[in-house]
Amino acid sequence: MSSLPPQNADSGAFNEMLQISSQTENLEKLRNFIQRMVSSSNLESTLHNRIVLAVDEAVSNIIEHGYPPTQPGRIQVEVQANASLFSVLIRDSGRSFHPGEIANIDIRKHVQQGKRNGLGIFIMRQIMDEVDYSFQEGLENTLRLVKYIT
Amino acid sequence: MSELEITIETLEDNIVLIKPSGYLDAHTFEQLDCTIQEIFENQTHRLIVNLEEVNYISSAGAGVFIGAISQAHENSGNIIFLSPSPNVQDVFDLLGLSQIFSFASQLEEALEKF
Repeated sequence: MSSLPPQNADSGAFNEMLQISSQTENLEKLRNFIQRMVSSSNLESTLHNRIVLAVDEAVSNIIEHGYPPTQPGRIQVEVQANASLFSVLIRDSGRSFHPGEIANIDIRKHVQQGKRNGLGIFIMRQIMDEVDYSFQEGLENTLRLVKYIT
Repeated sequence: MSELEITIETLEDNIVLIKPSGYLDAHTFEQLDCTIQEIFENQTHRLIVNLEEVNYISSAGAGVFIGAISQAHENSGNIIFLSPSPNVQDVFDLLGLSQIFSFASQLEEALEKF
């Protein structure tokens, strides 16, 4: 990963990639990468930490559910930004995950029941304008998170 | 500083003050979860969690508190959150937890809520 500003950062248009192994100790590296990307984009600063959180949640889900803990795999995170949108493509080849099948949560019931699951996808949907998922079974899963810049 | 450090202090009436410092994510949440479970098993279900030095929290960290509050209530206890950092407060707002959890800005105020 480069520590230099992304190309064409002045115009808010750039494309950068990070590849990590599916281990939770790499989440800090991921957050630092996304923080650098949002800082170079035209996104308003109040959204920066939220976008970092949404990507952290997506990658944490893949680490937890996509690969066996004893056999970590690769996760590729690609940021595509321009003047009108900030898009993150997250690719892995682990077990496929279908966020569309997960219903939104009732947080009050969640707390009453002490349930911890489902919060990550809820956060992604709250923050991003688009959360799309596509997969080729056993080959590649792609999660696309998009935030429009207004 | 390491990723997450936790200090524990027993206050009046066997109320325990926990102060995590650092970040609470999918990598560190188990450390806090184990600490809280040990306190529940050995001491009390009345906790104050000082969040002023937690600079980042994801759903894994929030999930620890959701599970712990449910356990505390089942055992006639409670958890009061003291001075969340702006980032933590923002995530609690996003999840709707700010309307459900109990907060205090001063330790004395937190103690009065038990």
